[in-house]
Amino acid sequence: MSKTMKLAAALWLALAAPAMAQDIKVGTIFPLSGGAGPDGQTVTNAVKLVVDQINAKGGLLGRKLTVVSKDDESTPAVGVSRANEMVAEKADVVIEGWNSPVTLAMQPILARGGVLDITAVSKADLILAGQTNPYAVRINSSNGFDAEVIAKYVVNSLKAKTVAFLTQNDVYGNGFQTAVEEEFKKLNFSGKIVSTEKFAFKDTDFRVQLTNLKTANPDAIIVTNSSNSSGLPAMVEQYRQADIKSTFVGAVGIMLSTVFKVAGDANNGIISADIYFWDLPPFNGIAESNNFAAAYKKAYGVDPDKSAALGAGAVQVWASAVEATKSLDRKTVAEAIRGKTIKGTVFGDATFLPNGQLRPRYVVFKVVDGKNAKLEALPQN
Amino acid sequence: MNIAQQIINGLVLGSGYACVALGWTILLGVARLVNFAHGQLYMLGAFVTWYAMVKAGLPYPVAILAAIIALAILGALLQSAMMRLVMTQNLTSLMIVTLGFGYVLQGGSALLFGGNPQTLPVTLARANVDLGSLWFTWQDVLVFVATLLLYGAVWLFTQKTRFGSVIRAVAEDPKLAELFGINARIVYLLVFVFECSAVALGAALVAPRSPILTSMGFNEVIMTFVVVVLGGIGSILGALIAGLGLGLFIAFFGAFVAQAYTTAAAFAVLLILLVIRPAGLATK
Amino acid sequence: MTAIEQDRISSPPSLRAVIFVVLAAVGFFLPRLLGGTSVVYSTLTTIAIFAVMCYGIDIVLSYLGEVSLGHTLFWAIGGYTAANLSVKYGLNGWSTALATIALCIVAAGFLGAVTLRTREFVFSLVTYAAAVVGYEIAFNWDAIGGSDGIVGIAALDLPFGFATFSGASQEDLWPVALALLLLTLLFIARFRRSKLGTAALMVQMNPALAASLGIDPRRIRLAVFVLSAPITGLAGWLYAYQRAYVGPDMFETYFLVLMLTAVVLIGRRILVGPLIGTAILIAQQNLLSLGGDWNKIVLGAVLALVLIFWPDGLAGLFRRAGKKQAEPQQAEPQ
Repeated sequence: MSKTMKLAAALWLALAAPAMAQDIKVGTIFPLSGGAGPDGQTVTNAVKLVVDQINAKGGLLGRKLTVVSKDDESTPAVGVSRANEMVAEKADVVIEGWNSPVTLAMQPILARGGVLDITAVSKADLILAGQTNPYAVRINSSNGFDAEVIAKYVVNSLKAKTVAFLTQNDVYGNGFQTAVEEEFKKLNFSGKIVSTEKFAFKDTDFRVQLTNLKTANPDAIIVTNSSNSSGLPAMVEQYRQADIKSTFVGAVGIMLSTVFKVAGDANNGIISADIYFWDLPPFNGIAESNNFAAAYKKAYGVDPDKSAALGAGAVQVWASAVEATKSLDRKTVAEAIRGKTIKGTVFGDATFLPNGQLRPRYVVFKVVDGKNAKLEALPQN
Repeated sequence: MNIAQQIINGLVLGSGYACVALGWTILLGVARLVNFAHGQLYMLGAFVTWYAMVKAGLPYPVAILAAIIALAILGALLQSAMMRLVMTQNLTSLMIVTLGFGYVLQGGSALLFGGNPQTLPVTLARANVDLGSLWFTWQDVLVFVATLLLYGAVWLFTQKTRFGSVIRAVAEDPKLAELFGINARIVYLLVFVFECSAVALGAALVAPRSPILTSMGFNEVIMTFVVVVLGGIGSILGALIAGLGLGLFIAFFGAFVAQAYTTAAAFAVLLILLVIRPAGLATK
Repeated sequence: MTAIEQDRISSPPSLRAVIFVVLAAVGFFLPRLLGGTSVVYSTLTTIAIFAVMCYGIDIVLSYLGEVSLGHTLFWAIGGYTAANLSVKYGLNGWSTALATIALCIVAAGFLGAVTLRTREFVFSLVTYAAAVVGYEIAFNWDAIGGSDGIVGIAALDLPFGFATFSGASQEDLWPVALALLLLTLLFIARFRRSKLGTAALMVQMNPALAASLGIDPRRIRLAVFVLSAPITGLAGWLYAYQRAYVGPDMFETYFLVLMLTAVVLIGRRILVGPLIGTAILIAQQNLLSLGGDWNKIVLGAVLALVLIFWPDGLAGLFRRAGKKQAEPQQAEPQ
């Protein structure tokens, strides 16, 4: 064969080869516009980063991964359309869910389409209830686990005698409060719950509730507010303006970066817990986490927060299961996750309950420098 | 102590409602135009104020002026687009058009200003007034005083000046007013521009209370609706009383019953009032 | 062109019936013709359901000339009735549908009676307030679903005495959605020719003439409003079975703006207008999505611009273009 022919043949092979081994499609459905847009973008970016890392190491099952990311606009009806598109585009897995109602609406669609559905952030208990999706997997912690760690801290460490609740009035907020009250019973809490104040997710003015709480003057106020972009920072500032002396105990996971950015030093003294901090133990001792944090900082210029870790963890868990079972089948991969332990994720060893819930590892913290989001880890018992 | 603080809370909340509702009630009373873009205009007013302060480095009073001017110009443009529908009093189409405008403003603002929450760096909003154990901020005082002054000024204008009577004539009967040589077009244009300016002022004063998002708007102005209908459409004094009254109602209902249900309670009161006394809204 | 004028030039009833049957058959096989995948079925079913939702508001907007901003209330009543009754009490599809119709009539009757003596824009405001109250109730009342709604709605089952139709998959639901759409079209067609329909049109076009004929506009508004509610309600009913999940999101303005744009886009009082409008909007959202923010701009702009510049909708545009083409030919001397 002449040189030109050999060159042509090589070129042809090089171009045709990727087309013969099809890419594995990793779908993401998160809000990319609207109030939760920046949060959804963070999770999606983390997914993209980990996918790039996997591709750099040769891909999965010898094939490259591509990310197909869609915007659910925090609207269930739109999420349903996106889920249908994912099914049509034959996605091999869909990592989804910032808002619980959107996840709940998309679940039946993905289940009917036989697409593996991993919920990264949405917290509703119904997601793992099993009716709609018998192969559900969720990375973020559940209200049940969250309540345990907060209740333990309030009862054993803070030793509060009087407690009040400032709760978001929806299934998430009310569910968390109920779970905490149950944990109090389990811990034989000798103190009293003196007051419960509620508010709507969209509220930004809390002076009425804070006035009541100030009068009640409990040792600790357990605050559940998931509106990290507007309501919660406003609440923190108004809490300080009202000069309430009670300890502000935030529900697990509510202190996201936007809260620190907006409320700054008003956050000082807040006690809360979360399931991931790149710079606090045990995570700063986990190789995979440090690796991810460095790569994330390099790619996006900021340190990764819990939301990013959830996106990264979702991909890593799924990729490990696929690698272990050498399969992309929904049932096979799900059963390699549910009730099993996956090693080498940003969370360290990721152990899943049989219902698909990742068992979380908590860091309880106190905010020491709100403006710079500096936290002090507190001992748990 | 609690009661006194809740009264303060009620007045603070109420003056905010009244301030934001003024433009809407006049627009509705004069042009019978239901402006469903009101919430997005509020959001835009807040963001223009923020942009002027943070990106252009202007002081707060100048930023407020910038917001008022920007929204006044926008209002003039929108009203010119809608003019034919307004002159033919095609109220149903107008309602839907403003709904469409609201959507465009929401999408456009998200593209312009992004999806991240922003804070208006207004020092007054964080400056506490301590009257014994009562707490509120200087911004709250500003909102209260500004609202009373604004309402007073508008009331004087419409009742005592010639142009005010022109507006009242057009509100009463546009066809008859035209026969007397009044240019209804100009009146409608000015009233709509006033609505946009007033909501810009309201946003600049009230929005510093909390972070602003381009996705906000609906919640912030939903009480406007209740204030205007309770106070009597087009009634300036009514809107002021209804606004302050609603604020006090919300504060006490929230303090002694449940804050989370205040929206439902306010609207339920509204519906009951409409059932018992529809005559108040059956005029003309 | 009004519905009354259109009647005079329409084809004889027997031809209309044949056309209808042919279109129904084509509609039935349409998903298969377009590929037969589950996505095609679900998209067409969604278009059919949303179109029926739009027809409810269409009756009020196009024929009565008033804006109901509370039709999401009936949409939600349909969804919540289907969800609650089937999940909690195991009632079959017929019962939940009947309950939906009944509840919608009651709700619409109440709202209509309340606004009997008020002006049109107050009617719109009251419907708006009703939707807000409905949302607050649905969100806060855990017994009917609460903020997270109801999951796991079982497949639609419609017993026919000798057999039970079960709508477990998207393919199975399509005939039901198509049947609902066709029934709605027949209903609207009959409504346009009925006494109530022509009275409503007269009230919109020439209130003085209507008054002189002894027609009370307020009673007409009540009747038309009550008639329109179950249509949107039944669309919500079927949506619950299709999505297998209902929640307070059914009250979102997303559905309201979709309804209004679909009705206004093609042109009012065109029988298939809302259907085509819905198809275009859903197609844009699914196939040509420009991202959440741009989609909002496009949707809002379409709604505003059509009403400002082309109040007769796209069909009006075509008609004008057609007339302009015809005129020069006529003007030419032969």
